[in-house]
Amino acid sequence: MRVWHYDGLSALRREPELVADGDAFVLVERDRVEGPYRFADLVAGDAVDGAAIYGLKGSTGWRIGFPGGLPADLAALLPAPTHYGRLIDRIGLWPAAALCATLATIAVALFLMTPALVARAVPQSVERKLGDMMARDFGDRNCAGPNGPQALAALVARIDPGDRDVRVSVVNLPIVNAVTLPGGRIVLFDGLVKAAASPDEVAGVIAHELGHVRHRDVLESLLRQLGLSVLLGGLDGHVGGYTNALLASAYSRDAEARADGFAIDALAQAHISPLPTARFFKRLSAGEDSGGVGRLTAYLSTHPISQDRAARFIAAAKLHHNDRPVLDADQWGALRDICTSDPKARAPGFRF
Amino acid sequence: MHESQGNKAFTFSGDWREFAPIAFTNLLLSIVTLGVYLFWARTRERRYLWSRTHFIDDRLEWTGTGRELMIGYGLAMLIFVIPFGFINLVVLNSAMMRGHEGVAGLVGLGLYLAFFFLTGVAIFRALRYRLSRTLWHGIRGGSDSFGLAFGWSYLWKSVLGSFTLGLLVPWTMTTLWNERWGEMSFGPYRFEASARAAPIFLRFLLFYLAPVFFLIAVIALAVFGMVAGGMGSWRSLPSDGVTAAVMFAILAGFYLLFFVVLGVIALVFYSAYFREAVGALRLGDLEFAFTATTGDWIRLFAGNIALVVCTLGIGQIFVGYRNWTFFIRHMHAYGEIDLARLTQSTTRRPGQGEGLLDAFDIGAI
Repeated sequence: MRVWHYDGLSALRREPELVADGDAFVLVERDRVEGPYRFADLVAGDAVDGAAIYGLKGSTGWRIGFPGGLPADLAALLPAPTHYGRLIDRIGLWPAAALCATLATIAVALFLMTPALVARAVPQSVERKLGDMMARDFGDRNCAGPNGPQALAALVARIDPGDRDVRVSVVNLPIVNAVTLPGGRIVLFDGLVKAAASPDEVAGVIAHELGHVRHRDVLESLLRQLGLSVLLGGLDGHVGGYTNALLASAYSRDAEARADGFAIDALAQAHISPLPTARFFKRLSAGEDSGGVGRLTAYLSTHPISQDRAARFIAAAKLHHNDRPVLDADQWGALRDICTSDPKARAPGFRF
Repeated sequence: MHESQGNKAFTFSGDWREFAPIAFTNLLLSIVTLGVYLFWARTRERRYLWSRTHFIDDRLEWTGTGRELMIGYGLAMLIFVIPFGFINLVVLNSAMMRGHEGVAGLVGLGLYLAFFFLTGVAIFRALRYRLSRTLWHGIRGGSDSFGLAFGWSYLWKSVLGSFTLGLLVPWTMTTLWNERWGEMSFGPYRFEASARAAPIFLRFLLFYLAPVFFLIAVIALAVFGMVAGGMGSWRSLPSDGVTAAVMFAILAGFYLLFFVVLGVIALVFYSAYFREAVGALRLGDLEFAFTATTGDWIRLFAGNIALVVCTLGIGQIFVGYRNWTFFIRHMHAYGEIDLARLTQSTTRRPGQGEGLLDAFDIGAI
């Protein structure tokens, strides 16, 4: 049958006769005979305007074309063209897409779980050292006014009896916030203690931070930040930054909700009412603080407060009975003055 | 022997409805493979576009593969992005922290120069790759050069250009065009390019001086506004919130106007540059011409932006199609080709795709 042909050596277009012989063929044009070539060595190209086009393995530019499409008797001998790629063609578009989507989901999930898995593999002793290192930055601001540390210890013991690994301290900074460092170190800022209306409110905040300690959230989020910043470092600065912030905040929302769950359970077991904590959150989100808006945003920026959060604590109160205050008036007074009555703690305010 | 005078040498016979299934399946597969399929997607797109492009009496054919593009990308990551990222992050930061500002400055300068060098190499190699994968009558193009000399040339011309406050840009653009095309060939024929800077320099000055005029206009307006405001009573000024909103609107308006106007002026220059560059290209007895006017370029860009914005980004998959058809529509060739003398290229066939170029995200031609 007649085909058109480029031999890949010159641009001349030939129109030889294709003469098949078993699994091979020759191209005959008057007295010129090319070949033999094996059908199996042909590579299918894209069909254009109904013409089937084939190349030859290992030969640049060698082409034969069947102008009216492939004759039926040759179709079985010739390889099929690739559409999407060899692998996908074999499976089929939709099964391949479904398979890839599944694999992609698993890959993304594994990738997102890596920090949690790595965090679990880090020994407690290493984590504690890291926390101690970070806590040293606050060193000379730690407050220890008369009876203050004892009151704080009593408060922590009520919420979480029997946990000796947790160390809670108050730092002389006028910020309404509390942070958990690696290794079970919880740092309350004096601004938060002053902004609290009752010891039960402080207890709620500490119980929440204890949840972070128990779930090892801090180490996990540190690892996540580290990993994301390395991975996304290759992206354009803004895109990387936004993606990083979005992923990190999505995770912190989950971690916050889990820490709240822990706090609600801990308060229930310690017979401390969760209502003051809910009130504290509501006050913060409404901005009712004598210290001004600037101080409040600190807690809000790391602990996004929604109506749901306060509602969860309020709902939990229905199951409570026999609640009693976490500290008596004297202890609460000592805790409130833990920084102001400590001459050794460095003065509040920031040094630049 | 082929005459191409009279009717157009380059024609495109594709149809976007015929292309749509390719574009949408590419999008689907790229998403479910987290982007890995992009290399094959680009290959499929080019196979379609090339196969629907006629030159004189036959179609073009794209013979590149997705695997080549992926290997090129991987190599670029290996030899460029990772070492550069490491030097940038670790070496520079630690040098800065230890107080070796001089060392940090030198390393930074070295990185900057290396970046220009590699950009030049990348532009060259992308063009070489595309020519080597383009078949017409079974014949391909290519180059025997690896592009290192072009990289050096690109480096020092860029540095020189910045020392002369950018006034040499038309000269660097046209000479670099001539240099890289002069190294390219198709079949046995070498391309020749003789683009000149002089014919496009006036349009470049327009682009160069526009921001200055703009700045003067803004200052004049501001001064005028202040004088006018000063004449009225201060009490009649609207409240702070309204003033801030108005100021913001004015600023945003200026910002937008600045970029739209500057973008249009840039196209005034670029359209002239591209006409000059393509018009100065020869291959054997073939001469080329590009006929897109500034208006054509504006319509292309405005259309692309509208396409992407109106489809919430999905229209992006048709941008490559639009760019290619624009390119072919305005591309002309005149002269003769002796098919018997057009024999296969003997240039080395590069093994990988335009990886570095992907890493830098720049166009090839």
